[in-house]
Amino acid sequence: MATPKELSGSNDVNNTVVGPSILISGRLTGDEDLTVRGRVEGELTLSRTLIVEPSGVVKANVAVRNAIVSGVVVGNINATESVELTREGRMVGDIHAPRVIIVDGASFRGRVDMGDVEPGRLPSQRPVVARPAAPVTRPSAAPARPSAPPARPSAPPARPLIPVATPRPAPAPTVTTPARPASKPLPPPPPPRAEPRPVAPPVEPASAEPPTPFALGAGAKKKVVVKKKTR
Amino acid sequence: MANTVIGSSIVIDGEISGDEDLVIQGTVKGKISLKESLYVEGSGVVEADIETQNVEIAGRVTGNIVASDKVELKTDCRVVGDIKAPRILIADGASFKGNVDMDMKER
Repeated sequence: MATPKELSGSNDVNNTVVGPSILISGRLTGDEDLTVRGRVEGELTLSRTLIVEPSGVVKANVAVRNAIVSGVVVGNINATESVELTREGRMVGDIHAPRVIIVDGASFRGRVDMGDVEPGRLPSQRPVVARPAAPVTRPSAAPARPSAPPARPSAPPARPLIPVATPRPAPAPTVTTPARPASKPLPPPPPPRAEPRPVAPPVEPASAEPPTPFALGAGAKKKVVVKKKTR
Repeated sequence: MANTVIGSSIVIDGEISGDEDLVIQGTVKGKISLKESLYVEGSGVVEADIETQNVEIAGRVTGNIVASDKVELKTDCRVVGDIKAPRILIADGASFKGNVDMDMKER
């Protein structure tokens, strides 16, 4: 009776676990995640993720897609995606992977090869990582975007109207609140542009000043408008 | 109990030893020596000599089995090899080819 339970239970766990008292020596291959809490020696090839837990010891040449090392690895890791050494991870060997993460506290001795480290690639890859993160942070602003474009054109006419329609602050805040997130994307570009230029002016105050007023002026006008609306 | 599971897509060519239960859903070639129980599930394929306390086989095993307690061949298992254990159970529907030895001189 206990056995069928265990068998069915182990079916639910759809990945491979090497328990703390287990020693596997030889060649291990597979197409699923592998969690090592015991020892694996020899050669380890997976098309998925290797997880070496704190009690795990791997003395092997490892070829996997992802490796997360919280235990001990002695040998080379060749990963098609990433290798991560966690706080408790200890490793001696070479790492070959496009993404290598070594956390504070991890100990590592060996070489790291991330492949072709071209100046163009890393920046292009990082935005890819940032893109999914950006929509997550801006979901509340996203609905504001479609409403924002109409708000921008309406905003310029509002400038001349502001003195006339100063009593309008009540409707204005409702417009301004969506406009704030919408206007935020606009101001950020100017500040970075403006920041380096103010830095530059001290070098050549006379020649650099004329351009800065234009850049600052464009950004400043918008900022001023926003401030007026907010107030 | 910490439980070791060899998943269905895993192939191990070598030696497995340990002091805990082992569940095999994948393929193991070489040698298995445990001090606890070995479960070879329906999808499991073992081409190895086995030395454990208990063995329950629902999959395929090719190799000699020595158990200090019990060997159980379940329905639909296919076993080729010699079995040596004080208790050996062969269920209806199991297919088995080899010698059976229940006389444990070591005891």
